Amino acid sequence: MSEENKKFGLTDEELFTRINHNDLESEKITAPRYSYWKSVFRVFFRNKINIIVLSLLVILILMAYLYPTFVHYDQFENLLIDGGKHLSPSKAMKFYGPSIKWILGAGGSGQSTWEAIWDGSRISISLAFICAAINMTVGVIVGAIWGFSKRVDIIMTEVYNIVGNVPMILLVSVLAMLFTASFWTMVFALTVTGWIGIAYFIRTQVVIIRDREYNLASRCLGTSTFKIAIKNILPFMTSVVVTLLATEIPSYISTEVFLAYIGMGMSEMSLGRLIFSAEVSMVTPGWQFEFWSPVAISSIITVVLYVVGQNLGDASDPRTHM
Amino acid sequence: MGKYITKRLLHGIFSVIAVVIIVMILIYGLMSRNRIFAGDAVFTKQANNNREIYRYQKWEEYGYLDYVPYADYLIELTKNGEIDEDTRSKAVALGRTADKDSETTAEYVEKFTKYYESQGYTVKRCDAVTLAGRVAQGGSPQLYAYRDHPLIRRLVKYFTGLITIDNIHKVPAENDIGKRGLTFTLHDPVYGGEKFSPAIIGNGTYHKYLLYVDSHFPYIHQNFYNINLGLSYSINQGVDVYTTMTRSQGPYVTGPVTYPTGLHAESADDLHTATYLAGSLEKGTVLYSQLFTDDYTVIDTNKSGYSKLGYSFIIGIISVIMAYVLGLPIGLLMSRHKDGFIDKLGTVYIVFIIAVPSLAYIFLFKSLGGTLFHLPTSFNLDTTSKLIYVLPIVSLALPSVANLMKWMRRYMIDQMNSDYVKFARSGGLSETEIFTKHVWKNAVIPIVHGVPGSVIFSMTGAIITERVYVVPGAGGLLTNAINAYDNGVIVGVTMFYAVLSVVSIILGDVLMSMVDPRISFTTKAR
Repeated sequence: MSEENKKFGLTDEELFTRINHNDLESEKITAPRYSYWKSVFRVFFRNKINIIVLSLLVILILMAYLYPTFVHYDQFENLLIDGGKHLSPSKAMKFYGPSIKWILGAGGSGQSTWEAIWDGSRISISLAFICAAINMTVGVIVGAIWGFSKRVDIIMTEVYNIVGNVPMILLVSVLAMLFTASFWTMVFALTVTGWIGIAYFIRTQVVIIRDREYNLASRCLGTSTFKIAIKNILPFMTSVVVTLLATEIPSYISTEVFLAYIGMGMSEMSLGRLIFSAEVSMVTPGWQFEFWSPVAISSIITVVLYVVGQNLGDASDPRTHM
Repeated sequence: MGKYITKRLLHGIFSVIAVVIIVMILIYGLMSRNRIFAGDAVFTKQANNNREIYRYQKWEEYGYLDYVPYADYLIELTKNGEIDEDTRSKAVALGRTADKDSETTAEYVEKFTKYYESQGYTVKRCDAVTLAGRVAQGGSPQLYAYRDHPLIRRLVKYFTGLITIDNIHKVPAENDIGKRGLTFTLHDPVYGGEKFSPAIIGNGTYHKYLLYVDSHFPYIHQNFYNINLGLSYSINQGVDVYTTMTRSQGPYVTGPVTYPTGLHAESADDLHTATYLAGSLEKGTVLYSQLFTDDYTVIDTNKSGYSKLGYSFIIGIISVIMAYVLGLPIGLLMSRHKDGFIDKLGTVYIVFIIAVPSLAYIFLFKSLGGTLFHLPTSFNLDTTSKLIYVLPIVSLALPSVANLMKWMRRYMIDQMNSDYVKFARSGGLSETEIFTKHVWKNAVIPIVHGVPGSVIFSMTGAIITERVYVVPGAGGLLTNAINAYDNGVIVGVTMFYAVLSVVSIILGDVLMSMVDPRISFTTKAR
């Protein structure tokens, strides 16, 4: 046999082999295995830029959360040292001795700008994640109900028109006055009405999908509303929600920076507060580092979060899983 | 269409009222009323009981409560003839403490307390504050009654007082001002009485000039009705928010003026803005009698700059135009070359603008513009150079450009997959033709919806841009008011914004239905 094969240049593997017929086997339907989230990450990691940006994000978060635990940061530790304030990196290294701590110079009360920005990042990132978590949860749930029920729609649209016109800065300042201008007051102020915009967005998406033919067919076949919401609409919404999350998280950092700049921020030295307190340093020669460092780090954080979120949102759209 | 718009307007009015209610609950209900004195220099100068009295006077003035001092009550009694002047002067002298009152005083204090407590007032007595046995400065004893205004009363008062119509009975009837009435003249006396310039002059009205013509935009001015959005406490004390927003700023501009007495002078006084203040001619300085013949003496001055709204609007409208002129074509180009170089570059720009905090890039533009192009980076009302507008306009336009690019690209690409595009392509139309004749017209419809909004909101100003470039615009008004606890201004500005947003949404819908004949608001929704 093999002699004959060699004559034609064929190997054994290339030949047909006989398989016994099996009734049970022929009933099985085979298709490539499909796991939604696995596909999402496969698509996400296919793009090399995403890996770079994601690792940058991990480094930023690690720096923000781990660095302050290793190094004790005290804003006022050098307050009483003469000549130790507003130093450029080279002068700070000369004054305090070379250390990574002084790589960005010293700030207005002699603090290390390098440590200040990581401490500020930790506060700002925490604020963004907590606010986004609360607002997204409430917003998506309310938005789904809002989109489904016509009666709720009439009331909620009116509420949206009213609440949307109450200036956010007014709300923040009144709440800051009632309580103290602390981290949790800020979380409360940003979430007390913040969910309504997200809910409105989700509502519009639900309304678009709600009356599609396949949902109509489902309903005709007697599927319950709850099951339609979970099985038919939620999968459709995943990419929308992820994309929305990508814009939401950085937006809280921006909002916090904005509020701090107009003097309505919280008492903690977040990135916004750092920028606000170093505003005069922008134009003073030799002091620029204290101002531009928090500006740069907040920009980097928001851009990285946005890019990761957007690309994750793209990847979570099943149409890209081909 | 008319019926639909009326319905929308009614809904809008409802939302505006609801917004004002919420804001009033927030600032009058939740915030301590003592906060309004935070920036008041007069308040800090007051001591002891006088400070207390000042507080209540101001609270009454700004509509927090009704306040009746004991002395006023006695004057009222004297006017009604219940007591004579002699008793009044005896009764008005309060003792240092309640048990040191004279008999007459005690009797009337008792009456006062009983009367006002039955009316729901709270009667409060402040004993004298003594320092080394003598009454300290501002420490004389005080007796007064006050009653808080309920929110609903404040609300009704606010909305009924929004627009005041000037009439010849505005000046109280007891003031003798001669014959009340309106006179129409073709030769405005302000210009010397010879130049042709029609004007309507009132006597008995609050404003002297009800209609006049001058050289400032919009040239014909009226004072028949006035808008009152809310009285300012600390931002611009005693001045209405609307006036604060619309009054011109900057250095004085002088010109020839003929005063009512016939005096010609070079002055910045704008006599057209004269308003009535009872007894001001008598009480005023000698100068007043040389200039004026009646009590219409409160006048504004001519200034060279624009108003707060004016500056914001100039910067805003130019940046809006720039944004549409740049954003739409670039978005179009990006969709035309989808996944090409332009598209990628544009996307990077969009990501940059969306993700980076606006504060960061505005500062970036400021420092770039200042160092590289040597453009002025902060506003100065005295200079006439138009270059100071450049950076604020650019800073304001760039984010809007990104936003418009993003949506234009999105809508264009969505339209590209439509059947009519495939049909046009199969019909042999060139890509350029398809883009400019078919896709573009459909893609621009949702963008048209936002046009009235962006035009209208260009006058409210941008908070950060104006602050960074020190533009004397309207953008910082709300934040300043909040920081200074100026409640009247907060309510006024919020109300103003709410009205603008309601109007711009309705206008957007109307414009959209005009551009796209398929959209109709008159027929019932399918």
